[in-house]
Amino acid sequence: MKETKKILEYDALVVGGGIAGGESALNLANLGYKVLLVEKDLTIGGKMIMLSKVFPTLDCAACITTPKVSEIARHQNITIFTGAEVKRINKLGEHRFEVDVLQKPRYVNVADCTGCQMCEEVCPVSVSDEYQYGMVGRKAAYIPFSIASPRAAAIDIENCTLCGACERACPTKCIDFTQTEEEFLVKAKSVVVATGFNLFDPLKIPRYGYGSQKNIITSMQMERQLAPTRPFNTILRPGDGKMPDNIAYVLCTGSRDKSVGNPICSQVCCMYSIKQAQLLMGALPMADITIYYLHIRAFGKGFNEFYAQAQDMGVEFIKGKVGKITEKENGNLILRYEDIEAGVVKEAEHDMVVLSVGILPNQGISDVFENEKLELDPFNFVQQSDMLASPAKTSIEGVFVAGTASGPMDIPDSILSGGAASAETTSYLRRETV
Amino acid sequence: MARINPEFTDELKKYGAFDPNACYNCGNCTAVCTLSDEDNSFPRKMVRYSVLGLESEIQASLDPWLCYYCGECSSTCPREANPGELMMSLRRWLTAKYDWTGFSGLLYKSLIASITGFLLLALVVILFGFSMEFRMNDLLHYGHYFEVGAIALVASIILLPNIVRMWYQTVKKPGSNAGLKTYFKCFGELVVHMFTQKRALGCDDNQLRWFEHLVLVLGYLSLLFTTVFLDWFSTGSDFIIFLGYFESALIFVVTFDFVRRRIQKDQEVSKHSHPSDWFFVIWLFFMGLFSFMVRLFIDLNILEQNMWLYILQLIVLVQWALLIVPFGKWTHFLYRSFAMYFQKIKLSAS
Repeated sequence: MKETKKILEYDALVVGGGIAGGESALNLANLGYKVLLVEKDLTIGGKMIMLSKVFPTLDCAACITTPKVSEIARHQNITIFTGAEVKRINKLGEHRFEVDVLQKPRYVNVADCTGCQMCEEVCPVSVSDEYQYGMVGRKAAYIPFSIASPRAAAIDIENCTLCGACERACPTKCIDFTQTEEEFLVKAKSVVVATGFNLFDPLKIPRYGYGSQKNIITSMQMERQLAPTRPFNTILRPGDGKMPDNIAYVLCTGSRDKSVGNPICSQVCCMYSIKQAQLLMGALPMADITIYYLHIRAFGKGFNEFYAQAQDMGVEFIKGKVGKITEKENGNLILRYEDIEAGVVKEAEHDMVVLSVGILPNQGISDVFENEKLELDPFNFVQQSDMLASPAKTSIEGVFVAGTASGPMDIPDSILSGGAASAETTSYLRRETV
Repeated sequence: MARINPEFTDELKKYGAFDPNACYNCGNCTAVCTLSDEDNSFPRKMVRYSVLGLESEIQASLDPWLCYYCGECSSTCPREANPGELMMSLRRWLTAKYDWTGFSGLLYKSLIASITGFLLLALVVILFGFSMEFRMNDLLHYGHYFEVGAIALVASIILLPNIVRMWYQTVKKPGSNAGLKTYFKCFGELVVHMFTQKRALGCDDNQLRWFEHLVLVLGYLSLLFTTVFLDWFSTGSDFIIFLGYFESALIFVVTFDFVRRRIQKDQEVSKHSHPSDWFFVIWLFFMGLFSFMVRLFIDLNILEQNMWLYILQLIVLVQWALLIVPFGKWTHFLYRSFAMYFQKIKLSAS
């Protein structure tokens, strides 16, 4: 395979096609630099494209992301690899990075796919849909979701039975089972790390019973239920499909909690929970929403007003960390907590519980740097070596960080951070020509 | 108006507490505690009182005694503030506060004072042995007198006044107006908890720990009865001899397991050991083992040639009876059951 390795040259390699990486790529491309955007998922847009609305303006997240995503996709200076991974980054000298990129087979020629979904219809295999966070199923031949970019089919080869039904049904004959892994050698002058974050897995807190108690979902699952591309077209609890009318939010699930190894605040959970509570009051006008919190952190522009608005709308806020959740026979859930203001331990019944899960580092990126070390901070986010003067700077000259790769932050801050990374990358690239 | 006292946590650290100041008042500890209920929600409130240094609130509360330390609060604490160990150190602190002599506090806070006390008593016993020229019959005779005398004196001079002080702090001073009738009505609670510790069963993890503890308590109390009132070492009754063997064996077997756990630290409850904990379990182990051996030596007729063993047993007994029982961890036997009694009285009166 080595001799067939294709060599590509770019001014900037952007690792991660979420909102921060996308913003960086777009800015660099608009300045005339050639950019390679490598995304390990099948679509760009990151976590933001999955969201319902953004706080505190309640603008539609998809309506902000999709124009940006299609601008990135159509930009003549940007090349996008989806379903691809950066395997190795070697710094040979200033402005000389050598990068191994592995393109995994999609088994679909994206250029020919029209997104007609006929392959989905005929595919006999149903599996859990990771883009809907496991709440519904998808086929093994599938389009990730309706606003994916590229909006093209992919074959989930792990679950595919190789029956060939999709191949026969495809009107443009774009399905190609002969595709194999492809390796590229990329010569880039600079690197932007925008690898985002992972969500906290609530299975790590067994006393909350996520996984075994069906009517407990994560905030990302609720986000999907509220989004325009939602799975059910209404809000349903997964256990029995009942429309909930008494929903509880458990804040700080996996954040500010040393016992699960994540002592820091995730910065977004308070606000997205308040946002979801407001949206739920629209979606389920008769429902009661209760938010169990430790401290409400509403520190950004317009955030505190947004919090006050939720209170005015009738969302109930109770100070106290939920200690454990037990399931009743009818699927309702008993939350045990200490009402801090009264100083008394209490139990409350809700018919659906949302765990407001926190943000964890996506730390794998530091392993791909070969001859220079990409330093991580004590919480395993990418270390910002000069946070105040040059926030995108990392421990390696010429490698910049954007978005939540450097720490928990909300969407406006991620976009700002992407902007900062592109500006600092530009100044680094300009130094070569001077 | 309560005055806060930030230095109080430093004082508590001497009793074994970790870092209550790390607490951010989420209430997780109270919510995960299976013993916590609407009438007594702990331990967060105790953590808060400790951080603020509200000594009189802590002294008025029975909550520290209502915790049986399963350790769930500590292992799930988001701040690693170790509320379980704080409750443990509050029990030590309260023991010191109830004690009118002040010795408890001194022994809890200073390992040197404890060791000095233990050494002094050992010296006294050895000197006493010399003065008796290590004659077996005399020593056994006085040893038995000592047991009877020590029980009477410690109970009347130290323990009883301390229980009264505890009652004053937790029932009388906070303004309970329970009548004498309530005291009688609730008396059963005291007996039940003293001899069964059944509240400990409410801890989730705890069936085995509770059973071992129960065996230990019953074994200890009956051995005490067998040696003091049935005069085990001098009796001729086979039944009493066998009973004593059985009881002392129970004690050293169970305490051996307790010591093993504290060394292995395999459970939250055995992770942190204050010197007073070590003294308590090790001395209990010695008491069981040595009294077992003494009786064995008597039966084998070799005690006279091995008076060192009896002296050793007497040293341990004297240290136990004059240091650990009145001022050390032994008192939790009383305070825990009286706490349940007082709690019931307070609830019945209100």
